[in-house]
Amino acid sequence: MAHAPCPFLLMDNNQPLSHSDPRRQLRMARSMCWHCQSEVTGEYFCERCVKVQPVSKDTDYFTCLGFPRRLALDPKQLEAKFYELSRTFHPDFYQTKSTNEQTISLSNAAVLNTAYRTLRDPIQRAEYLLALETGSVKDIRTSPPADLFEEILELQDTLEEYRASDRGSDQGHRLRATLQTEQEALERRKGEMESQLRRLFADWDKLQDTGEATSQARAERDRILKQMRALLSHRTYVNNIVNDLAATIA
Amino acid sequence: MAYSEKVVDHFNNPRNMGSFKKGEEGVGTGMVGAPECGDVMKLQIKVQNDTIVDAKFKTFGCGSAIASSSLATEWLKGKTIDEAQKIKNTDIVQELNLPPVKIHCSVLAEDAIKAALADYQKKTDEQPAGTK
Repeated sequence: MAHAPCPFLLMDNNQPLSHSDPRRQLRMARSMCWHCQSEVTGEYFCERCVKVQPVSKDTDYFTCLGFPRRLALDPKQLEAKFYELSRTFHPDFYQTKSTNEQTISLSNAAVLNTAYRTLRDPIQRAEYLLALETGSVKDIRTSPPADLFEEILELQDTLEEYRASDRGSDQGHRLRATLQTEQEALERRKGEMESQLRRLFADWDKLQDTGEATSQARAERDRILKQMRALLSHRTYVNNIVNDLAATIA
Repeated sequence: MAYSEKVVDHFNNPRNMGSFKKGEEGVGTGMVGAPECGDVMKLQIKVQNDTIVDAKFKTFGCGSAIASSSLATEWLKGKTIDEAQKIKNTDIVQELNLPPVKIHCSVLAEDAIKAALADYQKKTDEQPAGTK
């Protein structure tokens, strides 16, 4: 497992800025230990004064947990790394330390938790990678095929009908059977989408491993990200309706 | 985080919920979705002489998405096509006091309005001359 160095940067509010040139301030703040002002070269702790350094908001979750930006990720290794770092930042070890160190370790632990929760789930991991690679996901609006929407809206109508019906009646039984069939069909579709996604994940990792910068590689990268985006959002729609169905007819 | 009173009101008493009959004349339909949360919104307008005489919506999603589309249909009624084009998501955010994490719901409503207007326009353009 590759351990990419985790650049730790100072949070703005930890120290009053004393230099007037804003560019200088930024540069200083990015490389200095908040305590002894010596250069921090990329560990969780300052090498000189051994004080804990705050994890930057700019550090991505992969880097944070010491993993490369790949979509195949061994959950066991991830968990092991998470536990290791959780111990490192555990509040118990900071009881006798300064308030500043307590605050930093606590907020690091919080970032770590979010990072772990995000990367642990393959779908969330992919969503997160997409956001990293393509900027904010919200900027890309994808309109799923109209037929999927029609289907969802129609199903929601049937769901409403079922909720309002007398469940013991013939009509209730009939509606329930219809919904059950639909649920099974949608779950199969969700499964197909997920295997398509897994293929894309593998394509992504393979492309990263080759590390080529040709125009062909760039085109491949765009293709993967675009298809991944579309599939992930379609999957969300299908997943929502499947959950609605499952909750209603359970 | 709590929903604003206006959101709760629209959620509990949604205005203009439903849809027009299939094949009804002068109807434009917009269907949009939010890929990040999976919300689905369908918004319809009924136009007579360039004025929106009625509007309906169906939204499956969170309270803010329902409130945004409910409010949008209220605003659409009585507006001309041109006036409707000018409805902005920021107007909805302001009216409903939406928090930053729910702004995409208002964007969804604006997109739905735009899609419904475009659909209506497309339908009228397709109609052979003289049948309008």
